[in-house]
Amino acid sequence: MPLMPKRVKFRKSQRGKVRGKATRGNFVSFGEFGLQSLEGGWLSAEAIEAGRVTATHFLRGEGRLYIRVFPHKSVTAIPAETRMGKGKGEPEYWAAVVKAGMVLFEVGGMPEAAARDCLARVAYKMPFRCRLVSRRPNI
Amino acid sequence: MAESVTLKVNKREGRGTRLARRLRKQGHVPGVLYGHGEATISVVLPADDLVKAIRHGARVVDLDQGGALEKALIRDLQWDPLGHDIVHVDFARVAADERIEVDVRLELRGTAPGVTAGGRLDQPLHNLEVECLAISIPESIRVNIGELQIGSVIHVRDLKLPEGVIARNDPDAVVVQVTEPMADVEAPETALPGAEPQSAEPEVIGRQKAEKEEEAEE
Repeated sequence: MPLMPKRVKFRKSQRGKVRGKATRGNFVSFGEFGLQSLEGGWLSAEAIEAGRVTATHFLRGEGRLYIRVFPHKSVTAIPAETRMGKGKGEPEYWAAVVKAGMVLFEVGGMPEAAARDCLARVAYKMPFRCRLVSRRPNI
Repeated sequence: MAESVTLKVNKREGRGTRLARRLRKQGHVPGVLYGHGEATISVVLPADDLVKAIRHGARVVDLDQGGALEKALIRDLQWDPLGHDIVHVDFARVAADERIEVDVRLELRGTAPGVTAGGRLDQPLHNLEVECLAISIPESIRVNIGELQIGSVIHVRDLKLPEGVIARNDPDAVVVQVTEPMADVEAPETALPGAEPQSAEPEVIGRQKAEKEEEAEE
């Protein structure tokens, strides 16, 4: 089942805009390699789940996978062939707001070649251009 | 221990974002040199030299300011949001015989037999905070995982550190362990009979309270 908040203060949220680059969550923190988004937008809970399943199948119990984003935002939609008006639609799905530079997934406990293969497969499931990043030099 | 690296720096005249951006476009990195109760100096140095030094694991560098050499620790690096370029560097003056606290990378060596037996390698600690002499900062601390079976753990207290190096982390902190492989937890396709159906929407905070109040009023 895709990720979703357990409790929320409001069922529906305004759309907002995704501007700028990420200044938080933009480097590898937990694993050794990460998948960094190069574009901004909404990442649906289904896409996160698809990435998780792909990575889990590749890992087969080896290594560790970290999901760095969570779908906090509800996205509403109105049914087809509905007349305009009558208020805001009902929540359709949940999405994570992703800025350019955010690390979406991380893997650890595996060699670089395997991590590259794993995250390349995950990248296919993402709606953004992504790239592989490794840990920054520790200073 | 990383080799000594000399970086040629120039004093930076002027302040501000526009000047810093101009310098970065020209292939330079703005920085600052401070410490030891002496004056804080704004500096600028070629980006390529700094990147090369960092890539080779340099932590303490000799700063060449027009002939005068000064030993400094690379205290902080600021990166652009995508992690491509270094935006700013902090140098802290150090003496060769001074003891300093720095983070050192932990490097895993060998193949854990537990992993070949199907276990999962978990490394919660990637850097170790150590206290050592400024001139003898280890490039990395090697952790031999060649004898790590499933369920075995290496703690900070088990690490073999070079002479004169003291770990500052909690001695009981886990560096690396091999755990049992986790079974793939997939959501069941059909709900078990008698089980409550999982709600498709999250609970709304305050809604239950409001409904109860309405019922009480009625």
